Amino acid sequence: MNLPTLPLAREGFQAPGIEIFEWPDIVHLEVAGIDLSINRVVLQMFLVGLLVWGLFFFAFRSPKLVPSGLQNLMEMFVDFIRNQIVLEVIGRDGLRFLPYLTTLFVFVLFGNLGGTFPVILFPLNGRMALPAVMAICSLLLFISVGISSQGFAYFKNALFPPGIPWPVYVLLTPIEFVSTFIVRPVTLAIRLLANMIAGHLILSVFFVATGYMLTSGNFSMVFGIGSLIFSVALIAFELFVAGLQAYVFTILSAVYIAGALEPEH
Amino acid sequence: MSDSGPPEEPRWSGANTVWSIIGTMLAGVLAWGFIGWLLDRWLGTSFLVAVGIIVGMAGAFYLIIKRYGSG
Repeated sequence: MNLPTLPLAREGFQAPGIEIFEWPDIVHLEVAGIDLSINRVVLQMFLVGLLVWGLFFFAFRSPKLVPSGLQNLMEMFVDFIRNQIVLEVIGRDGLRFLPYLTTLFVFVLFGNLGGTFPVILFPLNGRMALPAVMAICSLLLFISVGISSQGFAYFKNALFPPGIPWPVYVLLTPIEFVSTFIVRPVTLAIRLLANMIAGHLILSVFFVATGYMLTSGNFSMVFGIGSLIFSVALIAFELFVAGLQAYVFTILSAVYIAGALEPEH
Repeated sequence: MSDSGPPEEPRWSGANTVWSIIGTMLAGVLAWGFIGWLLDRWLGTSFLVAVGIIVGMAGAFYLIIKRYGSG
């Protein structure tokens, strides 16, 4: 940080930047040249994975006809995905994807909620690895759904949209290829990642600034109170974004599966 | 009469259309921009990447109009 210019930045408030997403390795591990080190984010990923597994396992280990407690809560998630996403987007035919979509939703949601959860305070999906892997899972899933429901005609239907004079396919087929098999997973991952990075940065800047102003000992303390109130409102907003982005990720995966199930008309 | 219109669209459909249009435009520019860039490298020119981007945009517009235009 040796920037000689910017006199305002010489001391005092330092806004947190993208470096708050970097965590040092806790366990350094390298297998066959592949870095498998464990840092805080990896630990959090294990924790969320275990949590999601445990919630579903203990909720449905001995299901009751009249659910209560944990089973009630987890059935709410399943019902939500079933009614609001699967039946709405894919239809009854899509119920076999309910387990995948529910797990995806709950895992993304709990990963996002880490950003506002006390002590953890880091959104798991603020690192590219998880959104990327989940987007690739959805990509592989909708490709295999396409192949299993339409055979290799799936690629013909996906790459050669109907109702177009054949010379134009030279122009359109590369576009269709990129849009279906590259842009879809990339935007899926980046939308989630960017939302989580932005949210985490905003919260960090607000809380660091609030602390700075409240302890400044001068008139800034007045603004510190305002920024504290606004910070709390931002937490509520981040909770909303966490749920919304989990929903968007899941519903778009469902839309892509629905598109692969039957050819475009 | 209110019930003479088209059948009710599902709620997600509007958002999906928007995303798919954005995706198609992005894909058009990327696909043909990349082809233009490859041709530039192959032929030693430097203007084909721009031609590719414009061709890709035109193709993407055509595709979007064809798919959603008659709506």
